Amino acid sequence: MKQNILLQLHPMTKFYFTLFLFAIVLILPGYLFSFALFPVLLLIALFAGVLKEFLNIVLKALLSVLVIIFIMQMLFYPGENVLWGWGIFEIKQEGLLYGLLLTSRILAIGSAFILFFRITEVRDFVKSLEDIGLPPMGAYVVLSTLQIIPEMRRQANTIMEAQKTRGVETEGSVLVRAKAFIPTLTPLILSSIAGTEERAITLESRAFSAPVKKTSLHQLTKSNIDRALPIIFALIVIGLLVWRFFF
Amino acid sequence: MKRSFKDDFNMMAMLLIPIAVAVNLVGFQLANVLRLPIFLDTIGTIIVGVIAGPWVALLTGLITNLINGIFNPVYFPYALTSIAIGVGAGYLSKYGFFKSVPKTIISGIIITFIAVIVSAPITVFVFGGVTGNTSSLITAAFLASGQQLWSAVFSSSFITEIADKVVSVLIVFFIVKAMSDRYLSKMNYGHLYMKRNNKK
Repeated sequence: MKQNILLQLHPMTKFYFTLFLFAIVLILPGYLFSFALFPVLLLIALFAGVLKEFLNIVLKALLSVLVIIFIMQMLFYPGENVLWGWGIFEIKQEGLLYGLLLTSRILAIGSAFILFFRITEVRDFVKSLEDIGLPPMGAYVVLSTLQIIPEMRRQANTIMEAQKTRGVETEGSVLVRAKAFIPTLTPLILSSIAGTEERAITLESRAFSAPVKKTSLHQLTKSNIDRALPIIFALIVIGLLVWRFFF
Repeated sequence: MKRSFKDDFNMMAMLLIPIAVAVNLVGFQLANVLRLPIFLDTIGTIIVGVIAGPWVALLTGLITNLINGIFNPVYFPYALTSIAIGVGAGYLSKYGFFKSVPKTIISGIIITFIAVIVSAPITVFVFGGVTGNTSSLITAAFLASGQQLWSAVFSSSFITEIADKVVSVLIVFFIVKAMSDRYLSKMNYGHLYMKRNNKK
């Protein structure tokens, strides 16, 4: 992969940046700023070379939610000033404003988190959490979860195919389809938990739960930027809070 | 109390967490493939609650929503709901609520109440009442018929949750019943469900 200043930042720096956006979106009033933040995030994604995946996930995860929330607020938020009415449906000014505020915030915060996970490897993020005090066991659990999910998805498909050849029906009425659920899930769970014993033995044979400091093959380094940026973020948030509540 | 808290997190319990999280996701996917009208996305969390106790289930719920949130941040706030379901299932199991079918159904209803009470405020405060899933349509229908926002959100999520949770706990009941004594004996709450009668 190409060297990229953004991608090379310490995962914690990126995480603090996401929290920083989260804080300022909640502190600043009105929807204009939050909507303006989205193009900024797009630019960052473009610069980091993840624009396509970023947009894809934003569209898939957030767009329908935002549209539905916006319509609901427009129609049902209590208010006086009716802008437009049709039968029992009335669009009120208060609802329109609240809808804009809510959707702008959800868009800004949601896409900030999506961007964070596009520009940060989960492995690096977990390692950086471990560096600041997450127990190694916790780190192992999160990482092995990520590994096990695709594996179990494949296995579920295999089991379902096998049960189909045995004659378990997966088409038909709701009841028939529901009956296919248990013969798929039960073997999946029982065979997976049978494997945990072996994994426990493997981990213990490498002294995983020994009460000593663990060494890691995977190391993260902090540059000067990584030390300076969180302080700048914190100062801006404090400044905004002071401005918002005292002026 | 302090001791039992730490005891819950033994190696076998921790290794159950990844599987339980994957079961949550795979259960949801299977329900989708089979086009079932319910989600079935908390089966793993409830299993952990039943055999490994509330605290391990808390962690399972949290990790499930964090991992779902990587691809859809709407899941992040609902981590609280998953956590509450896990802790609830753990305590219900501690007091023997998963030992027979009728008791299991009762605990399903209790878990439904927990889920609704925790998730409704999130839906209202964070998303203004709807999140775009099936219960949103019901919420909209209630609102259009003149109900207040809170009661609309509560009743619509109750309607969608009750079937989901009662079916989920029944599935959990049968899966735990199918687990071997050998495995159950290694889990903290497993002795409650072993077939060989131990008079402890």
